[in-house]
Amino acid sequence: MIFRAVEDPDLIGRARRGDVEAYNLLISRWEKRVYNYLLRITGEREEALDLSQEVFLKAYQHLRKLEDPARFAPWLFRIAHNEAFSSFRKRKVESDVLAVTEAGGEEIGVERPHAFPIELSIAVTTALTRLTEEQRETVVLKIYQGFKFEEIAEILSCPVSTVKSRLYAGLDALKAQLAPLKTRGVS
Amino acid sequence: MSCSPFDLRDYILGELAADERRQVDRHLRACHGCHDDVERLRTTHATLLALRDEEIPQRIGFVSDKVFEPSGWRRVWQAFWGSSARLGFASAAMLSIALVAFTFYRPAAAPATSDVTTAARVEAAVAERVAAAVDKAVAKTEARQARKTADLMAAAEQQRQADMQNVAERFSVLEKRYNVERLLMARNDFRGEK
Repeated sequence: MIFRAVEDPDLIGRARRGDVEAYNLLISRWEKRVYNYLLRITGEREEALDLSQEVFLKAYQHLRKLEDPARFAPWLFRIAHNEAFSSFRKRKVESDVLAVTEAGGEEIGVERPHAFPIELSIAVTTALTRLTEEQRETVVLKIYQGFKFEEIAEILSCPVSTVKSRLYAGLDALKAQLAPLKTRGVS
Repeated sequence: MSCSPFDLRDYILGELAADERRQVDRHLRACHGCHDDVERLRTTHATLLALRDEEIPQRIGFVSDKVFEPSGWRRVWQAFWGSSARLGFASAAMLSIALVAFTFYRPAAAPATSDVTTAARVEAAVAERVAAAVDKAVAKTEARQARKTADLMAAAEQQRQADMQNVAERFSVLEKRYNVERLLMARNDFRGEK
């Protein structure tokens, strides 16, 4: 008897033929990564979970459009990226409306709950939130998700040179915030 | 500004080839500035990685429901039409077949005069039938309406007579009461005079 691990393309093929259980197995392999990617770029657990559900629903609905099942990961993260930035735009519009309706026109600061409780995690999360959305996303895709430059370019629909410039600018900003912090002994 | 032969961020991220890495290693042994910069980048990288992945608070899953599952025929249909390339090819093929079929099997034109006569005859017959049907429907509706009006008039007359009778009876009762009252008052007056 020959045992063979069921690969993602096998599961994708079965899901395309209407096998929901195969798709659920595929979700179980990827949900943690997608959730943590969304958590780090949104900074909110509830939103990250809602977006994750949306991502997997959209992926299921458009699974037939995936040309190469071997490229499932960049394709899935491309959907996650679109969902996250669609949510950012919606949140920005709501925030603008709130700022306009607020008496006195004071600046509205959106307080995001910190997703990670310990001190170092707070420092890292704060440093990440100080980056631009594009820089933060590129750092998350490279450092935490381990994608190659070409894959990140595919996910973000931009040239590799843009990916590199965003990543390098993000890393420089993070170095300025985190490297002195670490050497002072915060751990 | 770094004086390293290759970008130190690529060095830290493991994006350099083995030979490029060796060149940077050699440079770092000689250059204190770049050495410090690499140390800071290493610290940054390690600090970032201290942020561990969280478990998803709620597992995501879809329920298999026969109602929402496509049938076998539908899946085949979707599989065929799901690809834009296949759709384009099928459209082009159908258009070509239609053109060829039209060229070879184009029907001969029929005489125009017989068409005109037949069309006029059909049109007259249809108009006659429509007029007859409309007349019949109108007559039927009018008869129904007249019957309804007569019924309503009869019911109204019956109600009027019943009301008149009721009023007469009440008036009679009232008159009797009035007479009794007058009689009582006259009697009392007579006793008072006495």
